[in-house]
Amino acid sequence: MARNYLVLEDGTVLEGEAFGYDSSDFGEVVFSTGMDGYQEALTDPSFRGQILMLTYPLVGNYGISDEADQSDGVHVRGLVVREYCKEPSPMYGGRTLDDYMKAHRVPGISGIDTRELVIKTRSKGTFKGAIVKEGTDLEATVSKLKEMPSPLDANLVAEVSCRKPYEVGGGRDLTVGLLDCGTKKSIVEQLALRYNVKVFPYDTTAQEIVDSGVDGVMVSNGPGNPSHEAIMGTVVKTMSDLASQKPIMGICFGSQIIALAFGGSTYKMKFGHRGSNQPVKLEGKMYVTSQNHGFAVDADSLDGTGLEVNQININDGTVEGVKHRDLPVFTCQYHPEANPGPLDTRFLFDRFGRMMEAER
Amino acid sequence: MRKDYKKLMVIGSGPIVIGQAAEFDFSGSQACKSLREEGYKTVLVNSNPATIQTDIDMADSVYIEPLQADIVAKIVEKEGVDGIMAGMGGQTALNICSELAENGTLDRLGVHLLGTQPEAIAMSEDRELFKETMEKIGEPVPLSRTVTSIDEAIEAANAIGKYPVLVRPAYTLGGTGGGIAYNEEELRDICGRGLAYSRIHQVLIEESVLGWKEYEYEVMRDHNDNCIIICNMENLDAMGIHTGESIVCAPCLTLSDRDHQRLRDASLKIIRTLNIEGGCNVQFAFNPANGDYRVIEVNPRVSRSSALASKATGYPIARVSAKIAVGYTLDEIPNKVTGTTFAAFEPAVDYVVLKIPRWPFDKFRTVDRHLGTQMKSTGEIMAIGRTFEEAILKGIRSLEIGVMHLDRVDMTDEEIREELVHATDKRIFAMAEALRRGMTPEEVSDLAKWDVFFVRKLKNIVDMEARISAGPLTPELLKEAKSMGFADAVIARLSGTDEMSVRKVRKETGITPVYKMVDTCAGEFEAKTPYFYSTYGRTSEHRRDPEKKSIVIIGGGPIRIGQGIEFDYSCVHSVMALQDAGVDAVIINNNPETVSTDFDISDRLYFEPLTLEDVLNVVEAEQADGVICQYGGQTSVNLAVDLENALKGTGTRILGTSPDNMDVAEDRRRFSKLMDELGISQPESGTGYSFEEAKAIAEGIGYPVLVRPSYVLGGRAMEIVYSTDELKTYVETAVKVSRNHPILVDKYLTKAIELDVDLLCDGTDVFVGGIMEHVEYAGVHSGDATMVLPPFTLSQKNIDEVLEISRKVALALGIRGLMNLQLAVKDDRIFMIEANPRSSRTVPFISKATGIPLAKISTQIMLGKTLKELGLGSGYKTLDHYAIKASVFPFLKLVGVDSILTPEMKSTGEVMGIDDDFDTACYKALIAAGDKLPTEGGVYITVNDEDKPNILPAAKALAEMGFTIYATKGTSTFLRNNGLQVTTVFKIKENKGIDGLSLMRQGKINLIINTPSLRSGAIRDGSTMRRLAVELEIPSMTTVQGANIAVAAIKVARGRTVGVRSMKDFHV
Repeated sequence: MARNYLVLEDGTVLEGEAFGYDSSDFGEVVFSTGMDGYQEALTDPSFRGQILMLTYPLVGNYGISDEADQSDGVHVRGLVVREYCKEPSPMYGGRTLDDYMKAHRVPGISGIDTRELVIKTRSKGTFKGAIVKEGTDLEATVSKLKEMPSPLDANLVAEVSCRKPYEVGGGRDLTVGLLDCGTKKSIVEQLALRYNVKVFPYDTTAQEIVDSGVDGVMVSNGPGNPSHEAIMGTVVKTMSDLASQKPIMGICFGSQIIALAFGGSTYKMKFGHRGSNQPVKLEGKMYVTSQNHGFAVDADSLDGTGLEVNQININDGTVEGVKHRDLPVFTCQYHPEANPGPLDTRFLFDRFGRMMEAER
Repeated sequence: MRKDYKKLMVIGSGPIVIGQAAEFDFSGSQACKSLREEGYKTVLVNSNPATIQTDIDMADSVYIEPLQADIVAKIVEKEGVDGIMAGMGGQTALNICSELAENGTLDRLGVHLLGTQPEAIAMSEDRELFKETMEKIGEPVPLSRTVTSIDEAIEAANAIGKYPVLVRPAYTLGGTGGGIAYNEEELRDICGRGLAYSRIHQVLIEESVLGWKEYEYEVMRDHNDNCIIICNMENLDAMGIHTGESIVCAPCLTLSDRDHQRLRDASLKIIRTLNIEGGCNVQFAFNPANGDYRVIEVNPRVSRSSALASKATGYPIARVSAKIAVGYTLDEIPNKVTGTTFAAFEPAVDYVVLKIPRWPFDKFRTVDRHLGTQMKSTGEIMAIGRTFEEAILKGIRSLEIGVMHLDRVDMTDEEIREELVHATDKRIFAMAEALRRGMTPEEVSDLAKWDVFFVRKLKNIVDMEARISAGPLTPELLKEAKSMGFADAVIARLSGTDEMSVRKVRKETGITPVYKMVDTCAGEFEAKTPYFYSTYGRTSEHRRDPEKKSIVIIGGGPIRIGQGIEFDYSCVHSVMALQDAGVDAVIINNNPETVSTDFDISDRLYFEPLTLEDVLNVVEAEQADGVICQYGGQTSVNLAVDLENALKGTGTRILGTSPDNMDVAEDRRRFSKLMDELGISQPESGTGYSFEEAKAIAEGIGYPVLVRPSYVLGGRAMEIVYSTDELKTYVETAVKVSRNHPILVDKYLTKAIELDVDLLCDGTDVFVGGIMEHVEYAGVHSGDATMVLPPFTLSQKNIDEVLEISRKVALALGIRGLMNLQLAVKDDRIFMIEANPRSSRTVPFISKATGIPLAKISTQIMLGKTLKELGLGSGYKTLDHYAIKASVFPFLKLVGVDSILTPEMKSTGEVMGIDDDFDTACYKALIAAGDKLPTEGGVYITVNDEDKPNILPAAKALAEMGFTIYATKGTSTFLRNNGLQVTTVFKIKENKGIDGLSLMRQGKINLIINTPSLRSGAIRDGSTMRRLAVELEIPSMTTVQGANIAVAAIKVARGRTVGVRSMKDFHV
């Protein structure tokens, strides 16, 4: 059985069974507490640049299904699990996670005491790490990890955004422009159930979007640091320009973009929120939400921006959504489109529609 | 926000029965604590004295009273209760609340139902209404029709269009009376029974979804309409096997996120529609072929599943439900597990949880072992691991069925195939065996209707067995085997060595378990819960407090016949006593239903099997100062000697009575020798190593004799035989006798009074907590006997003698803590039957009846306190009221068990009737046990010759109360000669026209007094009548004393002057 090593920048080296693609890769090691939805996570572009560690110890049990893909590829750079399932339940066809990762050229490591690493991450913050093949110089890998810049310093959005605009659906009354920073397919699907959708590359200008005749603009989820200069100069600027022109909704990374566009700021969290069980309070009620973010909006930075925090995380009080006092602008830090995760907040897509309706 | 109430009532679930076990003590106790935390005055009512919730300090007023609507209404009125928590006491409490709502009592007294509303109870219990409601919100349910007669049932089956169909009676516990009918004939049969059991004479005929997968969701909702899922669970056994009978894992392992969210959404929709504020359980059938689902059932309350979900996730469902019921919302309730977050979130777990039912078939050898829609299990275990294999193997060895592994089964290939298709309790063993014999996982899965995903996990286990057998046992292989949950003993067996050698090698190579925390959040937040499970990984999370002593209490494992909730009660009391003394109390147990495994009871909880290896691992990881083996029943006693040997030379001591002295009490020869030395009589006895030897002993002593195998404890396979023929049958059918497996032969003392004594001893003083006199003659297992505290016929001279004997034995055995003695009084002589050097089944009963917390005091003695220091010294607790323990039996659910009481225990639970006068205490005990005492009607009397004179007073009293007396010839002649009017009926075995059976069927008989002759074969004669009595729920007394008690109780029932009293009124 081939062996792989998980190496962290603090010098931790853990041996495990190799699975998936026979390669080495590095990234920011993050954990997600979702107990299912591994395929959705692997294909979520927001995980670009990250090695994903799943806290649930049995992964791959129900195999792989095409409809679970959230994009055309796998974005995580590696997968760390306690155990991967070699022979899944046949209920969904029985295709294996191992084959899927091989096809998408992503390495995995199994047999890791993932809980130990979660606790370490919880107390020390996320680490840079690598999954490397047997025979790799481990000490050299540690040194390399220490020296290398954070994978999040790259313009990851450029890697996952669409290259050209495209349209989805048709025949609906309203048209949403979706600024694609690495959108999940299910956002597009949820929008298309209700509206005509025009998807734009992340570096599209405000003018181009206005000219396309959309009724509102949504900023999608996406990977990396929202205050990256390449982002500040593109998406953030675009949204800043659009601010008073169109109804706006932001999801996850999109929420951070909108806060930045109105003059607020964001920060990197210690280890982020990743999972399907995050409680959010909105207008007096609680919702269980699906989340995947390592950056957050700084509530204090919103003074004087016109934005106010209208949703918070019940666990830690972090910002889960903002809305503008006067303008039709709102965001959510979580994923109302689910996949994976609860469907509790899908109504936000309808709410956006009513906003566009009112502004027409 | 909190609503104002003057006083809130929590209704318990009564005695442990199949379908309602300790989970409701757990939920009710949590609810009481949760409400008191909020400053409410609380009242608790339950008839079961073996519960923690009936402890005097669990509520402001605690009532141990029968769970009947009229009695609950009296308590409500007396206490000024204005809110009732309906959802904490299972179906029993819901039924009482329905009745109080329907008959207007709630309105009359201005009482609110909290949490679950009457409409929700009706909607989830009334099948037709449920179906309508589900259809209204677009949730699919199986095609079905409600019927009230057999003809309608057949019509309904025809409309559904295909057999099999399910028969589900409305308003019953654990599916009593339900079944699967594969054809019209079976439908007639099952439907007839179902109609009889239904409280409203209604059953549902339903489309079969047999073979579909079964998933369950635990849902919570608050009045602000916030809804969350606590946990989902997957039944490994497909639809057709009751979820209480299924092996269940949590979370679901084979469901995609998309399908999980569909079912989650449906669950939320349902709880919203039913308007439930609190916890609720939704069961789905899921068609693996096309993803269709059906909503099968909704429980609008906390349940067995929610107890499991609480233990599986760490989320305290009952506690939170109680807070929600008084008006809090989820985001206002702190999560006690993390201490920093709130109840408003969905737990994430990072391990595999397995639940396996514990069936009573070891006790009931004649019962049909097949699993179906009728619950037969009495309890369950839960196991946690980081792999499925680890969890299942830990689970198997937690069952307390004498196996450490998926042991081989002695079945032919044909029998195995049959077992896979028609499951019994042995199916999982048969699956492993099938795989060993070369069947593929796919074939096994096909036959058993398990997802092959799970079968392959069993295959991994079987493959590992082969690898270990093939050897050599390298450290790598050993580590792999341990990660898969293999026990040292099993590895030893497979590799031809012994358990302790494997342990030694393992420790030398650094392969020791780590302990991970159950924290509700998969490690995302730092948690404060001291709740752990073992696994093989890199780092441990348990931390002991170096400033404090750590003492481990070994729990009792799953609830089974012979070892019920009573032992958990004592474990919890021991925890409290340790904590009061400033010691860290550590619990090891594996029963998810109980209070002892609630995360906030002990200082550290280890959810583990109770084998020597698993216990030693915890003791070593804890570096415990002491281990207590007295409270977990036979499970913990059996570990004492081995533990002491293994712990020699370490800093850990076994506390209390020394294991060697425990062994004296347990070992027959050593004990007999001691009795001889002390001059205490024992029934004559001998040990037979062959049938001839046993026969010679029996003839020497004289029949009847009590026989039992020497190697089985706890009254299993114990019988009274009246002749050599019966002895022959016994050794041929029940117990094989051999050189290695001798049988024990004891003189059976006929018509002797049996006594149970529970005492405390510190080595100097002996304090007798109570002497309980059995109502039935000796020969009925003490777990089944009706007991009276204090003795009601015993002379003072006898009592003094019993006290003296107790003192002598306790001191001679060097008891430190509790001991239970069983004695018999025959012809004014006292005989020692047995001594149990531990906390017994009757400890909670005596503690409740006397107000003396025996288990706590016993723990204090183990910590070095003396009885004098504890204010007791030597003595005996006298009472000025009566407490009567009555037992509850599973005869209705387990077809094939004779309801006659014998030396083999059959009851699942107990109730207590307590009152100033004896008759009222009898009445309360009997009705609490579910006896439908008649106040008028007919009584059928047939007694043996010896009993004829003794039965006269009872017969006279019944005649005076206006009962019609029916009797068989001999009895009727005797009664007539004594001036009673009696209708003579034929004996049943005469098989002529009008006999007892036909009168019973006609509804003319409301009480049966039947004492069988004490001679060969006689006892079997009445079995048809007893079975019918069970099915028609006619109270049946099989002893004269039992009859007298029933008569006393009927007098009370006719008088209707029964009052209610809280425990404080008795003890403060």
